[in-house]
Amino acid sequence: MKRRLNEIACVFRIHLARLRVEAGPFLLAAIAFPAGMYLFAAAIGDVGSAGIADTDHRLRFLSASVVFSLSLTAISWLGYLLLENRFTGRLKLFATLPLAPSSYVLGILIFALAQAAIGTSSLLVVARVLGVRTGLMTPVGLLVLAALVVLAMLAVSGVAVIVAARARSFSEGSLLTDALGAGLVLLAPIYYPPEAAPRALRVFAGMLPTTYAARGVQVTLTGGTHVARELLVLALMAAVTLTVAFRVMRLSEE
Amino acid sequence: MTPAPLSWTDTSARPLTGRDDVPSSDVAVRVRQLVKRHKDGTEANRGIDLDVRRGEVFVLLGANGAGKTTFLRQLTMELRPTSGQIEIFGRDATTHRARVKRMMGVVPQDAGLFESLTVLEHLQWFARLKGLAKCQARCAAVETMEELGLVAETRKQVGALSGGQRRRVLVGLALLGRPPLLLLDEPTTGLDPASRRAVWTALNRAVHEGATVVLSTHHIDEAERSSDRIGIFSHGRLITSGTATDLLGRLRKAYRLSYRDPFDPTGSARIELFETAADAFARITRRRLCEYSIDHASLEDVYFDLTGERFPAADSEEVRR
Repeated sequence: MKRRLNEIACVFRIHLARLRVEAGPFLLAAIAFPAGMYLFAAAIGDVGSAGIADTDHRLRFLSASVVFSLSLTAISWLGYLLLENRFTGRLKLFATLPLAPSSYVLGILIFALAQAAIGTSSLLVVARVLGVRTGLMTPVGLLVLAALVVLAMLAVSGVAVIVAARARSFSEGSLLTDALGAGLVLLAPIYYPPEAAPRALRVFAGMLPTTYAARGVQVTLTGGTHVARELLVLALMAAVTLTVAFRVMRLSEE
Repeated sequence: MTPAPLSWTDTSARPLTGRDDVPSSDVAVRVRQLVKRHKDGTEANRGIDLDVRRGEVFVLLGANGAGKTTFLRQLTMELRPTSGQIEIFGRDATTHRARVKRMMGVVPQDAGLFESLTVLEHLQWFARLKGLAKCQARCAAVETMEELGLVAETRKQVGALSGGQRRRVLVGLALLGRPPLLLLDEPTTGLDPASRRAVWTALNRAVHEGATVVLSTHHIDEAERSSDRIGIFSHGRLITSGTATDLLGRLRKAYRLSYRDPFDPTGSARIELFETAADAFARITRRRLCEYSIDHASLEDVYFDLTGERFPAADSEEVRR
């Protein structure tokens, strides 16, 4: 157990060191783009004009942007990192060590979770600067938000691991992770109300982790904590994607 | 308390292995009927049998695509064999993967490093991944940098290093923890003479202290100078193995004639092998050669003779008038 924890910590620290030189792209993916999407959605959503429930809209767009940030971090960014390790020969360094594939994946997932924590906290600060008032005041509310972020992150990270492990080339994998990173957000009714989506898309969106993550985050940002259903669904989705991810992840080749 | 230093043979100090992890067998690597067949049906390795003794330096020679890298990747368990058996220090490598990997230091042929990590960080973190305690990892990293001439690059990020320095970092990662078996795929490729010397000094020290080395190279001179035994690969098979002297002894044609064709004076020099010096001189007389040299056949000649590859054009400066 101690050995396993040491392995996970080492993989985490090795990847954390990347942030020293790659902080710029990370900040773009985790904060700048989602904050930009928030401003864009607020502008075209006519927030601030008379007759519109201003706070509700702002919180919807903010929670959508938090999920957008998670999706970009967990799928596009993490997927890119895993693909880079695999196709530039870095994975070989791990493959030749007495290291369990699960330690490698867990180390990277913890790195992704750390990024998610930085991204989400920064977005909440940015939102505050932009004048969004959330009802996130209690420790319980913060804990629930943290649980939602972790589960959402794990559910979508699993997808990134699967794509990175199965892609036949770097370009194929990065195309897929980019498409999924944005697609999981745009196909889920998170920047717009579910009733605005076509019926078929609503059914499909019901299977996406981003839908539940956005719904849960929106509830917690308004000060609510009744998100048991969202937590449960996200936990199940995380369990499924991670189980598949651990199965398909190989350090050695067939 | 400072932990005891690791040694290339003493497994009691090895943090992740038990005292009995390296059995007392005299054979470090035993391979039987090893086959690697890819999904498209091509056979990269065809029934390889090999024993490498403890403390031996075994060098694999062969053209690109001959099967050396596939063979080494199977030994390191980076690639699963289609069939056959691999034993490392008496343990079945396919069933005791983790244990066996703890006894190895590996330089993969096309491994990449983390550009944003410094040399010291690379060595320290990977030493920790090999199971060394924090202070042991630091000591091992410093010692490895000194040994490979990387001290000036300690705090440099790998992205700022030259190709040769990166290769030395990879060799350093393999040496960390003093594993009893070093499996190195072209460790000196792309290195300048000083770096090659630094790598070989480090490897020789490891061997002197009991490590076993299996490595592939394209430098025949390196194989001749530094190996105990040489294995020649061709078309996925280990076609022969033995000491450099053994291999030279197996060459029927022991004299090498390099000459320039008098009817094609601007063409590249040609090489032919002969059983006796008299045969070579007969050829010189018959063809009225005036620009030629005769020498004893070298390991390079054995290599070309056995693999059936064509002799490369000889360097014109070697041809004496």
